[in-house]
Amino acid sequence: MAAVCVAVISKQNFPLYLRSVNPQNEADLQFQYLVHASIDVVEEKVSTLGTPKAGQDPREHYLGLLYPSEQYKVYGYATNTRVKFILVVENTTSQSRDTEMKMLFKNLHVAYADMLCNPFYTPGQKITSRTFNNAVSSIFQMSKGFTSKE
Amino acid sequence: MSRQGRPQDTRKVSGELFSLTYGALVAQLVRDYEKDEEVNQQLDKMGYNIGVRLIEDFFARSQQGRCHDFAQAADVLTKVGFKMFLGVVPTVANWSAKGDEFSLILDQNPLVDFVELPETHQGLLYSNIICGVIRGALEMVQLEVKVWFVQDQLRGSDSTEIRVKFLKKLEDAVPAGED
Amino acid sequence: MSVTTVQAETSQCLFEFLHMEIVSQLQQEAGPDKKGEVQQRLESLGHRVGESLVERTSRDHPRFKNELDAVVFMCKQFWVTAFNKNIDNLKTNHQDTYVLHDNAFRLLQHLSEGNQYREEAQTYLSFACGLLTGALSNVGIKCQVTAEVTKMPACTFQVKVLL
Repeated sequence: MAAVCVAVISKQNFPLYLRSVNPQNEADLQFQYLVHASIDVVEEKVSTLGTPKAGQDPREHYLGLLYPSEQYKVYGYATNTRVKFILVVENTTSQSRDTEMKMLFKNLHVAYADMLCNPFYTPGQKITSRTFNNAVSSIFQMSKGFTSKE
Repeated sequence: MSRQGRPQDTRKVSGELFSLTYGALVAQLVRDYEKDEEVNQQLDKMGYNIGVRLIEDFFARSQQGRCHDFAQAADVLTKVGFKMFLGVVPTVANWSAKGDEFSLILDQNPLVDFVELPETHQGLLYSNIICGVIRGALEMVQLEVKVWFVQDQLRGSDSTEIRVKFLKKLEDAVPAGED
Repeated sequence: MSVTTVQAETSQCLFEFLHMEIVSQLQQEAGPDKKGEVQQRLESLGHRVGESLVERTSRDHPRFKNELDAVVFMCKQFWVTAFNKNIDNLKTNHQDTYVLHDNAFRLLQHLSEGNQYREEAQTYLSFACGLLTGALSNVGIKCQVTAEVTKMPACTFQVKVLL
């Protein structure tokens, strides 16, 4: 269940950060497409929170599986500040991996909140922080660890 | 939902408004001034103005008596002053042979917790306000000093080092505030 | 007082000194009769700080149910993180206005009480107005915040939600 792509989407729905674990041209484009497509799903999920249609606790930031494709599963998370995180993972198991995904998202959220506290970062700009990049590298690493448990 | 906090957590949280405000100030100054050196000077000046007032608060909270000499001042500055306001105790080191200069080595600097200097501002002394505060505070106890940054972890050095040099003892007169 | 409370109080004190110096510098740079400019700059500083502060404070907080939920959060957790105390009273017209009442606003505590200082005191509310606009806009609530000293050191912040 290794994560292959991490994306941070601004409240205005454009990507602030998109990184694949192995930057290769083809895969990159595919992830960009997946991420863009998933933004709509996130919006829909967030707007139906609290209604009977929604599948989960409206108080949670974690949105669960957005949609699966053949090779990948796309998970989403929306913060109180309308920032969305997308994690694309390899579709290697049909088992639910919510606990692990929540942990990865939590780490990403912490990293994002810390990054925002850099006074030289202007909200809405693309994220270029070294510390944030390192945190994302750790997330890729951590998710590889989950795979080995299968 | 209340925050579960270990003592460190609460300290970080409560100091946040200060360090975030300081960050916003520095970022604003960087936009206002053309050169990093000008920002550094402004931070030092503001620090001085804060230092001359802060010392009163320090004495009220700490009940410290007068320092007898420069070495004692160094001790009180780090073990009481820094600890009280920034929650860290710098190491006093690198005394000059004459005993009129020393360094403060900071392993941790709470001002820079989330700060990453932009490439275009590597000349910025982000925490220069600390130098001004030390200078202002010590002047109020009749010690005229020069304070400057020697090394800054934020700019890639291994440690953060501030140097304090004793210049002269002042007469017991109230100095005019720096405008 | 516990060690952590002492530290919290001391950090507050450090912030108050910093704020005071920022106001002083801005006033000097702007010159006389430029109160509006000074207040605007303070608000803009506060705005950026509010954005960051709310991001961290709300990180572990469950998703806000609605606008009121978010405003209540500002009055409690957010205000406590910023100023070590709650907002004392919150009123709303259930349409677009909220009035936050602080009985003892920290930044007014060290100012003199006489009426002639009320105008000066107004400037000391600008940063906090910015904190609120920054925090609220970051959770999706665009608004205008005006503040008023009621009786030193008490003040109100009026939040008008913009559509």
